[in-house]
Amino acid sequence: MKQLLLSLLLASPSLLLAQGSQVNTQSQKAVGMAGAGSALFVDETSIVYNPGALVKMENNGVQIGGSAIMYRSAFQEAGSPDVHHTKFQISPPFGAYATFGPKGAWWKAGIGVYTPFGGSVDWGTEWPGRFSLTHLSMRAIYIQPTLSFKLTEQFSVGGGFVYNIGLVDLGRALPVFYPDGKTGQATLKGTGTGMGYNLGVHYTLDETFALSVNYRSKVITKLKGGDGTFDVPGSLAANFPNGKFDAELPLPASFNVGLTFPLSEKVDAAIDGSIINYSIYKELVFDYENNTPVLQDTRSEKKYENAFSGKAGINYEVNDKLDLRVGAGYVYTPVQARYVYPETPDNNRVMAAGGVTYKFSPNWQMSAAYVFQKILKRTTTNAETQLRGAYETNIHAPGISVSYYW
Amino acid sequence: MKKNFKLYIGLALLGLATSCAPTLDELETSKGTADFSKFIAVGNSLTSGYADNGLYLEGQKVAFPNLMAEQFKLVGGGEFTSPFFSTEQENGSGYIRLKSLVDGNPVMEPVTDKLAIRGKSPSGGPLYTKYTEPIQNLGVPGMRLDMSMAPGIGTVAGNPYFERLLPEGTSPALKYVEYASSHEHTFFSFWLGNNDVLGYAMNGAAESEDPTKKLTDVPTFEFAYNTFITALTAKGSKGVVATIPDVTSIPFMNTVTTARLNAAVEAASGGAAKNVFIATKTGPRAATAEDLIVLTFPTALLGVPNDLKIPYGMHPMNPIEDKYVLDKAEVAAVTARVKAYNDKIKAIATSKDLAIADVHAFLNKVKAGYNYNGVHISAAFITGNAFSLDGVHLTPMGNAIVANLFIDAINSKYDSKISKLDISQYRGVKYPN
Repeated sequence: MKQLLLSLLLASPSLLLAQGSQVNTQSQKAVGMAGAGSALFVDETSIVYNPGALVKMENNGVQIGGSAIMYRSAFQEAGSPDVHHTKFQISPPFGAYATFGPKGAWWKAGIGVYTPFGGSVDWGTEWPGRFSLTHLSMRAIYIQPTLSFKLTEQFSVGGGFVYNIGLVDLGRALPVFYPDGKTGQATLKGTGTGMGYNLGVHYTLDETFALSVNYRSKVITKLKGGDGTFDVPGSLAANFPNGKFDAELPLPASFNVGLTFPLSEKVDAAIDGSIINYSIYKELVFDYENNTPVLQDTRSEKKYENAFSGKAGINYEVNDKLDLRVGAGYVYTPVQARYVYPETPDNNRVMAAGGVTYKFSPNWQMSAAYVFQKILKRTTTNAETQLRGAYETNIHAPGISVSYYW
Repeated sequence: MKKNFKLYIGLALLGLATSCAPTLDELETSKGTADFSKFIAVGNSLTSGYADNGLYLEGQKVAFPNLMAEQFKLVGGGEFTSPFFSTEQENGSGYIRLKSLVDGNPVMEPVTDKLAIRGKSPSGGPLYTKYTEPIQNLGVPGMRLDMSMAPGIGTVAGNPYFERLLPEGTSPALKYVEYASSHEHTFFSFWLGNNDVLGYAMNGAAESEDPTKKLTDVPTFEFAYNTFITALTAKGSKGVVATIPDVTSIPFMNTVTTARLNAAVEAASGGAAKNVFIATKTGPRAATAEDLIVLTFPTALLGVPNDLKIPYGMHPMNPIEDKYVLDKAEVAAVTARVKAYNDKIKAIATSKDLAIADVHAFLNKVKAGYNYNGVHISAAFITGNAFSLDGVHLTPMGNAIVANLFIDAINSKYDSKISKLDISQYRGVKYPN
């Protein structure tokens, strides 16, 4: 006769993945105005912000730039005196752009390589939410060849094809315990690809007033054959086979409108608004190659809503060489309260920024900017994990870029 | 201009250093109207930290009153002392651990080294290494409410866990109620009464001469409860009491199910037998899903023929014995008795203005299963995280959950703000490597 017929049913690790945090750092000039300026700044970063404006560049240029995003989150569980912080780390989004085309022609071509989505949080393995997430780093790298055409002196259009390479690495503690009391750990790493496009029109009136309309499509990124690693006590190893997994990560479309107008001879104002179609992010499915009764495919609800952001800034041309700028913005979160996960403890956020551009010569210029974002404190109970408490996040992002024109 | 620029950068870096990480509001703790300076915990195995079928040091350290006492320290609580086994004898009474999983079936093994056994009682049972320093965790495994009123329980012929706490020369007449209430205290937790029904239920509600397997009647329960609470509150001390869990809500009664045994019987007999049979007080019959079989039922007995060549458990002429089964009628009787106890507990606690931790209601929620900080907690054996390997007592995580339940009850009764435990820091069942 058999021993007790007990089947072990452990909670499946439902690993969660979000966009990371979208931090717009593709142009240090725009960063200096908290993200405004798609109509104002006509340069090689127009490849991202409005391919329609690219053709209005007088010269050709190349730029490289990067930011040091410091994403500092804190969590306090309801009823607990302990505040847990994410580990200090710097996530370095970058951008590189180049344009090609005859001077003053009716067309211009360009290519951009940039990271519009990404984030990195490391909560460590001792915090109350460790069974939701221990660490996540994810990055989308967009490669975008672009063409831009002048229809009239005022009116131009452009478009680019987007190829995305997505990288993800996330971990979660598993509620199974080693003889020394330590928990199990799951780690998922993978690379995926996706495609999309970026379209824009740009209209200039009297060389001072300009309007930018830009649509960036969604990019469905498919991760195939990622590596799932499960560190569990030996007696459970057969229940958690290491193996491959597939997942799909939809990066949302956005529709952006920008305006710029002069306040005085040396001061320009810019206002930008964006609608981000986050509502495509309804759920996240992990499809494991080797399923066991314990390790099932997981489906976790995200239920993101569309989000809106508004940004405004002013640019002051001190002299021929120096520009100074400041800006502020407000971003409505796409994340509903009951679906806040520790990978992106999101809420509405406020932003303040300042920046500078210095032209060393007609060929060389450098821009630097600093943006501070505060994700407002949010007290929430997650619908799935029931993790209950308050999150608050500060994001500091200093950045620098160098351009060469010919 | 350049100098100023440097200054600005310096100021910006200074600002960065100071405002980089957000600071959330620290929880403001307060003791409310209670005084936690001298806390005692009165109760049975659950209070003592008993787990995995034994009392051992690791379990003692995470007993729920010990976890509560750590939180009390933030609101004026003092030291909290427990009769810990020494490191050399850390395995105390011995316990069971998971040796391996064979086809998903747990195989247990006893832990028999580093025990704290000092000798044998007259009846041959163990006597444990004495601990006679002053203590505040007064939990005694096996203590029953009826026995707490009786003399002789603290002697070598009585309860060895009580006996180990008493110095040589203690009067054999000392009752647990006198022992507990003589400890100076400003606040107490009181959780007794479980064993007044649990021992009976775990023995399949079978007739027994063993006083630990008898069912206490309601008037005796009420009298003893009232007497004990009156003694503890004699000097105006405040406290928290807990209700008695439904014995059918624990893995001990819900793991070896009729369906599992039926499947085993069917497989073993090649489909000839489909049902197991049980003895009940009204005669043998086929088992149903409403009959509960104890976790300790030796499944190897199934199918063993008796003198008449009738296989055990597979025929009304050789049914599974009464002591292994809490049948449907017994479940109803035991459930009704627990409800009657809890009605008395709530009435007495309310009359004395004490906080009530409703463990009964809570364990019914655990039975259904729920998520907490990404951990699924349920009454499932081993995988439910809350119950240890004996299917009755708590894991460290289960103790943390219960400590939070007590703290919630105290906070709501005494207007206090005692901080709660992060239960995800405490383990469930350990799996072997």
